[in-house]
Amino acid sequence: MSEKIVLNHEEKDLELLDIKDLEISLKEDSFLRLRILNINSKENIKITAEVGSNSKIEVIYADFSDNDSNLDVKMDLVGEGAYVDWKLTTLTHHENKKVFDVSFNHLKPNTISYMDNYGVSKDKSSIVFSGCNHIFEHCYKSETKQNAKIIVFDEEASGVASPILKIDENDVKASHGAVVGQLNNDHMFYLMSRGLSQNEAKQLITLGYLKPISVHFSEENQNKIIDAIRWLS
Amino acid sequence: MATLEIKNLTVSVKEKQILKDLNLTIDSSETIALLGPNGNGKSTLLQTIMGNPNYVVESGEILLDGKDILSLEADERSKLGLFLGMQNPSEVPGVNNVDFLKASLNAHREKPISLFEFYRLLDNAYKETHIPFEMSNRNLNEGFSGGEKKKNEILQMLLLNPKFAMLDEIDSGLDVDAIQVVASVIKKEQEENHRGFLIVSHYARLYDLINVDRAVVLVNGKVVTEGGRELIKKIDTEGYEWLRHELGIEFEKEETMSSVSIGTCATKEALKAK
Repeated sequence: MSEKIVLNHEEKDLELLDIKDLEISLKEDSFLRLRILNINSKENIKITAEVGSNSKIEVIYADFSDNDSNLDVKMDLVGEGAYVDWKLTTLTHHENKKVFDVSFNHLKPNTISYMDNYGVSKDKSSIVFSGCNHIFEHCYKSETKQNAKIIVFDEEASGVASPILKIDENDVKASHGAVVGQLNNDHMFYLMSRGLSQNEAKQLITLGYLKPISVHFSEENQNKIIDAIRWLS
Repeated sequence: MATLEIKNLTVSVKEKQILKDLNLTIDSSETIALLGPNGNGKSTLLQTIMGNPNYVVESGEILLDGKDILSLEADERSKLGLFLGMQNPSEVPGVNNVDFLKASLNAHREKPISLFEFYRLLDNAYKETHIPFEMSNRNLNEGFSGGEKKKNEILQMLLLNPKFAMLDEIDSGLDVDAIQVVASVIKKEQEENHRGFLIVSHYARLYDLINVDRAVVLVNGKVVTEGGRELIKKIDTEGYEWLRHELGIEFEKEETMSSVSIGTCATKEALKAK
């Protein structure tokens, strides 16, 4: 069973904890802000959205669950002036495998999509950021940006970031970047030279990297995020 | 009083030997000015004493009060009372300055510091270094100017209260006023807390403003000569050329650069030459 959110000439700001599948439809002139925090969700999650003309969807997705997971997101920008702003932050540990497949389809002119995916993988865990932003033919003056960054903390942890762009129209702006890197040794040495143990230094860096997403949430959920980062790192 | 002894220390970085059989003994009550041309091992010595894993100790010992510290990680050396004010302090994204300072202070204590005591110490340190207190809430060195980073190093030194403070070109990037501030903090620490310093600087200005017990010159990864203020003055006015004819020292590392034609990247050429 999936939850349905339909807006038409409306604005809504929702904070959701441990979601199941979502079906979203923004008809016209609507704005939806979704703040999603997953701490205990265990299932595969599917989010689909249709964003109509002059409508905007902003998603802040924080995943700090301790299990395998698959997130499948498909958003279609079906009206002129449709806008998607997506921000995701995740942390994996143990032997968990998490896959985030996030795709946006630009089906009309003057549509915009921004995607930022951030992750930290620890222990023997893995993160995969995949998906494709597709600007179809005749969708001129559209813009898409994909950004993915994963820090691989431990030797046996892994991260794969493979953002794909498909562009079938000339008059567009598109960019994408992906970085998968290890913990910066200079940063570690700097913190350790002030007396912080290796673990404390790692924890502080993780917190610094993942905490920014928390400001979007209620105080109660902010504490859950910080607890999860502390406990996982 | 504590003693730091460096015995027959040979260190390499990326398989290139930088320090060669270096010997130096420092008391925690004295201040040493560490001089020498660029690329002759000053920063390498400081980084090695602090325990930077990029610097590989091939042979020799570093003893703090007779105890070999080479097997210790940087955090343990910090807890024993060593401090390094870095030449290029890292910008650590997302790590809040206050959180970091509190974590480092607590690392040096048995019991966590009370919030009241912490803010009292912090307030004093910010006042002494003339850093606006609002900056405490920024991320660690992120977006700081060169001078702000250097002052932030001095602030950390004040909070951590080390036995030996090593300062690597702490005065570079500082304007005249900021040099005065840093020098007055160092002088106060020397006079009131009898802290030992190992200070690297290319300019006599800083040394003129503080007490200096000894000047030590490093060339080719070795201590080649020692002296007092007169040595600092001589180097400040004459450079290092005189070492060649007066002491018969040949510089192994020549700063040569092959001629570069317009249209090629000079930096790339210089890198190739190394």
